[in-house]
Amino acid sequence: MKTTRIGEIIETMSTGFVAQSFKLNRPPPLGSLVLVRLPAETAESSASMDLYAVVTYGRTVGLDPSRRAVRRSTDTVFDQAIYQEHPELNRTLRTEFGAMLVGFAADGLVQQHLPSQPPPLHFSVQETPIEEVRRFTHRLHYLRLLLMDSGEVSPLQVLAANVRQVYHQRGHDRVWLDAAAREIATLLKNDHQALLTVLYAIDPAESRPRLEDGRTTHLLGGGEQI
Amino acid sequence: MNRKRLGAVIDGTYNGGLTVRLDSGTTTEQLRIGDFVVVEGQRNLYFSLISDIHLKATDPRLLTGPPRDASPFIAQTLAGTSIYATVEVRPMLMLEKAGESRDLLAQEKRGGPQPVRTIPMHFAELREANELDFATVFGKEGKLNFAMGMPLTMDIPICLSLDRFVERSNGIFGQSGTGKSFLARLIISGVIKSKAAVNLIFDMHDEYSFDKQTEDGHWVKGLRQIFGSKVLIYSLDEKMGRRTGRNVDVTLKIGLNQMEEADIVLLSEELNLRKTAEATIGLLRDAFRGQWLLKLLEMTPEELEAFCRGSGAHPASMASLQRNLKRLRRKDYIVNEASFSALDDMVEALDRGKHVILQFGRHNTVLDYVLVSNLVTRRVRQRYEDKMRRYEETQAVADQPRPLMITIEEAHKFLNPAVARQTTFGTIAREMRKYNVTLMVIDQRPSSIDPEVMSQLGTRVSGKLTEERDIDAVLTGVSRRSALRGALASLDTRQQILIMGHAVPMPIVMRTRQYDEAFYRAMGARFVTPQDAEKDIRDLFGDQ
Amino acid sequence: MPLKLEPISRQVDSMAQEIVDLSPAQEQFLEQARARLRSVSADALRQKLAQQRRQQIRIPWLVATPRGSLSGTTPAPSPPSDFCVIGSDASSIPPDRHSSIRYYVLNVGYALLTYGSHPDALLEATGQLCFRDEDLYVFSDKRDVPIQGVRLGARMEVESLRILQQVVGTVSRPTLALCDGPLILWTLQNETKKVRQAMLHAFLEAMALLRQAGVPLAGYISYTNARDVANSLRVWLCHTRPNEECERCDSDDRDLCLALAKIRDRDLFAFLAAGERSELFSSSSQILEEYGEHRADFFYLNVGGEIARIEVPQWVGSDAELLDFLHAAIYDQCRRSPCFPPYPPALLEAHEQAVITAAERRLVEEMVERALGQLGRRVVRSAKDDSKRRRGV
Repeated sequence: MKTTRIGEIIETMSTGFVAQSFKLNRPPPLGSLVLVRLPAETAESSASMDLYAVVTYGRTVGLDPSRRAVRRSTDTVFDQAIYQEHPELNRTLRTEFGAMLVGFAADGLVQQHLPSQPPPLHFSVQETPIEEVRRFTHRLHYLRLLLMDSGEVSPLQVLAANVRQVYHQRGHDRVWLDAAAREIATLLKNDHQALLTVLYAIDPAESRPRLEDGRTTHLLGGGEQI
Repeated sequence: MNRKRLGAVIDGTYNGGLTVRLDSGTTTEQLRIGDFVVVEGQRNLYFSLISDIHLKATDPRLLTGPPRDASPFIAQTLAGTSIYATVEVRPMLMLEKAGESRDLLAQEKRGGPQPVRTIPMHFAELREANELDFATVFGKEGKLNFAMGMPLTMDIPICLSLDRFVERSNGIFGQSGTGKSFLARLIISGVIKSKAAVNLIFDMHDEYSFDKQTEDGHWVKGLRQIFGSKVLIYSLDEKMGRRTGRNVDVTLKIGLNQMEEADIVLLSEELNLRKTAEATIGLLRDAFRGQWLLKLLEMTPEELEAFCRGSGAHPASMASLQRNLKRLRRKDYIVNEASFSALDDMVEALDRGKHVILQFGRHNTVLDYVLVSNLVTRRVRQRYEDKMRRYEETQAVADQPRPLMITIEEAHKFLNPAVARQTTFGTIAREMRKYNVTLMVIDQRPSSIDPEVMSQLGTRVSGKLTEERDIDAVLTGVSRRSALRGALASLDTRQQILIMGHAVPMPIVMRTRQYDEAFYRAMGARFVTPQDAEKDIRDLFGDQ
Repeated sequence: MPLKLEPISRQVDSMAQEIVDLSPAQEQFLEQARARLRSVSADALRQKLAQQRRQQIRIPWLVATPRGSLSGTTPAPSPPSDFCVIGSDASSIPPDRHSSIRYYVLNVGYALLTYGSHPDALLEATGQLCFRDEDLYVFSDKRDVPIQGVRLGARMEVESLRILQQVVGTVSRPTLALCDGPLILWTLQNETKKVRQAMLHAFLEAMALLRQAGVPLAGYISYTNARDVANSLRVWLCHTRPNEECERCDSDDRDLCLALAKIRDRDLFAFLAAGERSELFSSSSQILEEYGEHRADFFYLNVGGEIARIEVPQWVGSDAELLDFLHAAIYDQCRRSPCFPPYPPALLEAHEQAVITAAERRLVEEMVERALGQLGRRVVRSAKDDSKRRRGV
């Protein structure tokens, strides 16, 4: 299995972890599913275990927390060129992302609750391959875990981002999207405004470009239902 | 089981019924009040009716501000989750579940559906009823199980148990235009075919015997055309008897001597009698016994005066009485003296298994109808009483009189609270088949019928009713009334009825069977040839 | 006891007032001084200064001998397309007087920045616990001259230079080595000759290696308070001997001379345009006697926000190519600086690498105490230190 390591865990706790991204300014997308593979010795049982987590925020700051970013652009040097102009930035900045644990796979079974151990510090975080995304998201119980996050980014936005991501990764699986929407409607049944916030954000029609007269175009390809 | 799931139970009480939350895929519009549905608990199936429908929202704030730019995706997501519907469901019967196979035979061993004694737990499934459910509850079409109609959205026969039907007096109700006479025809046909009872029908508007054109313009057969010589036609109207193809078997005459005090009092309104009439008649009867009426009608003014002086009757009352009663005499079918033998023969014919329709022809005023029906029925009932007494003595099977069902229309004329105690019909209704005689009353104003009589009606078949009083009246004495109110008010004007009571295990809404060629064939109709007619007459009268 | 802010506040007000009152007058004299810079013949000044040296007239101030003209300027050349700058800095946890254990910690940081077609950066630091005699004393055998205070400062300068030289070996492109602070270690002036020589030895060795590698070296001094050139002007103006009865001097230039006493070189050279440097000057600092071929000169450079003092060894100052590259690279560094006034990023990052936080300092102390504690030895603190730490009532 091809692995794409995208970061290393720099803080870890039972509910999730913070990882430093290998690419500056490019944390994994908000809401995407990331993976920590635990070989047999480190996992809680004697078998290997894969932990799944959803990215809840991304942040780029100075390595030294007391150093704040200052304006560096000029009329001629701005955006990406700044990084050529000040090569030390690649060494003095770091991009980190937080992820919330939403389940794990062990012995061929997928469970959607917190594992009994947090992932070990300094272990790698990987992109989750598409087949594993499909397998994990087959059940929707993990969605309720996302609502319990209390981070800087509203859990509603994280939830919506995750649903959009998974919908896309599953090849615009409309059946799955409808099921996820209903599950969310049940979870947020007592808070209508919160529910609408999420539904507007995951509505597939919203993401299609609108023509001037208000009709939406139909994007071709990818198994989309016309 | 391949029943379509509708939702799950979320609340309920034994007395109040169950609340079922509809699944997101189920719209309220696919359900109707009165629909027959099944709730599956852990141990029992509950055969139920839908009695109410509610719309709900999980967050009331949604209702104050529905999303204005909701896309189809959002609307479809909200439906069944944030906004949802519940139905109130009334269990009517319950049946213990026994494993997976549920064929009718096994059920019969278990004893079939029972009255409801408990309720299912939360999340018991609500499902549409299927053919097996209908068959379980209402039985399969068979000898004494008469297919009355079908569920509103399915093609499964719902059966009426005819033997139980004729065990009690019954009623057919519904506002005008709901096809009560068709219903009567259906039921009577069923009774005739199954031989559950013999019928005596007082046909005020000449609807039951021969061809009749319906409101839509097409022709339907009469009972005589379907059942041939099994049905005898009596008539008050001589002229009718002479029309070809519509042969009347017997023309009936009513004698003044046959009329009793009660008959006259019953006609107070129609004859425009004073309140004092009853007392006056009493005096006449004391004096002249059975001839009182004849005597009165023949009295000269002087004789009247003399009588008054002698009896203490009031002259004006007497005069008024005589005047009003003279109308009777003017009627063609009324004679001074008539023998009871015609009526007795009729009773014998009934006892031999014939069915009798009494037509009124031209004499179809309320006065005629009430007078003749009451009088005839009194005689019939008397004969039946005699037969029953003899049977009780001899206990010979041959002596047991056949169950008789008497059909009357405009029932409130006979059975309103004021007169219910005085009419034979009231008596019959109260006696409850003491003498093997029951009524089938047809009326569009059930609220005008005496409540005590109403409560004696075993089975009630009702078309649409809109007056609250009428609905209340029809539901008198019925358990779980509230569930049925909505059903009654929501029936379609034509062809939809609610049946409840003795002849069905549970109340059920249905669309009635068509009274058409298929029906005639099912009833075994055949052509009536002149030879058959000859044969019939010989049957009736022997070889005279 | 808490500081009484009331009287201080009043004194702050007076100070502010005085400064403001002086400014207009100062401006006028500054203009005059600049005019003199332009008018004075460099040769004549050089002669006067040489004469005074011969006559062994003691000048109580540091004076600068111009190598070229006094007011000459050179604009900043363009740096090459690919080049490197290495900056270094050092910091320490000084020896704790109140502790029974003698040690100190040195942390030397450097930043190697590569510019051009393949921009890159390497930021590192090396820390060292100094507890052996050779670290604690200048002369480890005699153990009579402890390395602390000024000597520790000098040691830090030495280490900064040494690391520059070590890293330079790995680089192939034209490279500038940049030191934070002066190359002229005048703080060692009051030490004995033996000490001076001992301490300078490694310093000069590192310089030599850099020279060998062809890597120009500069000391960058920001916000310099130096008055060398201003003092030279005073000497020029003086008719008698400097600093003798100046108050009673009857020269026309008396006021200018007295004003010059307060004028700083950075104000004097404010006429430099952005990127321009002055000509080289030679310092009269005595410590430079020991520097040999690495004797350091200096010039002033407008880095685009302030006038900085740059000190360079003679072998850089006399090599036009090296000097131009050094000038171009320093100005380029300041151009890239996000601060105002600008500061070379190589030095900034080197400083960040070198810095030791108070928390880290405490950690080291705890480590030491724990290590000794495990071996059964307690760390004893002085009574004064103890009372400072505990601060009970």
